[in-house]
Amino acid sequence: MIKPIRFAETADDLLKEMDFYGIEEALVYHFRQRDDSPIVGNKILLREIEGVHRLHGTLAILPPQTGELGSLEDLLELMRVKNIRAFRAFPSEHKYLMTKTALGPLYELMIERNIPLFISVNESCGGISGWYLIEKILSDAPELTLVVTEHGSWGHDRFFRPLIEKYENLYLDISRYELDGGISRFCADYGADRLLFGTGFPQWNPGGPILMLAQADITSKEREMIAAGNLLKMLGRVRL
Amino acid sequence: MISSDLIKEFLEKGRSDSCPVIDMHQHMGPFQGIYFPNPSPEDMIRTMDRCGVKMGVFCSHAALIDPEENVEMAKIIKRYPDKFRAYWCINPNYPERIEREISRFSKMEGFVGFKFLSDYHKYPITGSRYRPVLEYAEDHELLILMHTWGKSPYDSPALVEKLAEKYHRIKFLMGHSGYGEWEKSIQVARKYQNVYLELTAAYAVNGIIEWMVKEAGSEKILFGTDLPWFDPHYGIGCVLFSRITDEDRRNILYRNAERLLQPFL
Repeated sequence: MIKPIRFAETADDLLKEMDFYGIEEALVYHFRQRDDSPIVGNKILLREIEGVHRLHGTLAILPPQTGELGSLEDLLELMRVKNIRAFRAFPSEHKYLMTKTALGPLYELMIERNIPLFISVNESCGGISGWYLIEKILSDAPELTLVVTEHGSWGHDRFFRPLIEKYENLYLDISRYELDGGISRFCADYGADRLLFGTGFPQWNPGGPILMLAQADITSKEREMIAAGNLLKMLGRVRL
Repeated sequence: MISSDLIKEFLEKGRSDSCPVIDMHQHMGPFQGIYFPNPSPEDMIRTMDRCGVKMGVFCSHAALIDPEENVEMAKIIKRYPDKFRAYWCINPNYPERIEREISRFSKMEGFVGFKFLSDYHKYPITGSRYRPVLEYAEDHELLILMHTWGKSPYDSPALVEKLAEKYHRIKFLMGHSGYGEWEKSIQVARKYQNVYLELTAAYAVNGIIEWMVKEAGSEKILFGTDLPWFDPHYGIGCVLFSRITDEDRRNILYRNAERLLQPFL
């Protein structure tokens, strides 16, 4: 709920920002999806990106037991109609547990349909936070495609490398992976297919990950995979 | 995309022939809470060369913890005189050693001044144990790189202001630019000619560089990376992709640092 120094008010504003940085397409959520109820925020996002082909939306989730976002079938139908191919979880703000008891049916849907779930490593719930929460999610749903965002800038390799080795559907975004030599060493050890380009705009300056990726000591093919290929492949696998 | 010859050059080559970079905030060696792929002096030089960083001013992680490690930095500078200068770390938790530390510092070559890490040492920059160091630095017009953090009881920008009111010849480098307490940090840098905003970690905050340039001027901003922590390309990218002029970018990336380091080269 803290206003960023610089931000995009509308989808058009965001496209102008993306043009400034040379970013062609983006997977996005609206701040209201996090700071407001997902009932309100999801609608705002869908309205804002309607017909904007460069922006791909994500829907904020809630435990299905309250029925606030309709049934799982309703949710799936909405995703089909609006071509939404990813979920986001904000358990800190929306106050729910990321346990199998609370989210089991949603996890099953995501696994069955290959729908990725995005979550910031800064999220917490029920006294669990950070990478401990990520391990909890993955131990409950090992086949889930999970994308962890905003890790760093204090190096997190000691936290995430054991999880990367154990869970093959765990991905990381590089928006704050500032560690010198981090990306190249990660690619050498695990390959480039587990990293996704991200900026964290408007909170973070996109220029950082742009130049870092452009000049990382990796192959052109690996660079292309991180810049776009991996995400396009992930979204292409979704079956709505 | 934004049109800038500097951006084009860095994106294509990773460095610029006409715009070298000077990194005013480096460390060296392994550290407690983080895995570093590139912690040695040679690793750091490889990174610096890749990014067009012609010189770095560092304080080793070991020296942050143990005052006896300060002298080890002199060996690195002697080995790589064209690449490194260093800050001598003052740990106020060893007050009985401080006079001796100053004496040892005075006999060493390659040091540009001192490093205060007050948030970690849990002792305020305005505390009396630092006084002999500040007086020595004032007499010799040295640089002091301070870790500064917003609202910290040890090194907030308001505490930096108290020192700047008293010491006019020391060059105070606000490491991390008083992270989070931006308005106050910028105000202090604007008000005192000898206070500089240093960008390590701060550069990632979207819009902060434009704000600093507008309010404090690009002549008061220094580039730093905490290397071996952060890839210099990340910080350089943040500077390049800010809505400022190429002249501002050059001031931040090397010109201001060149001016400050001139007496120590």
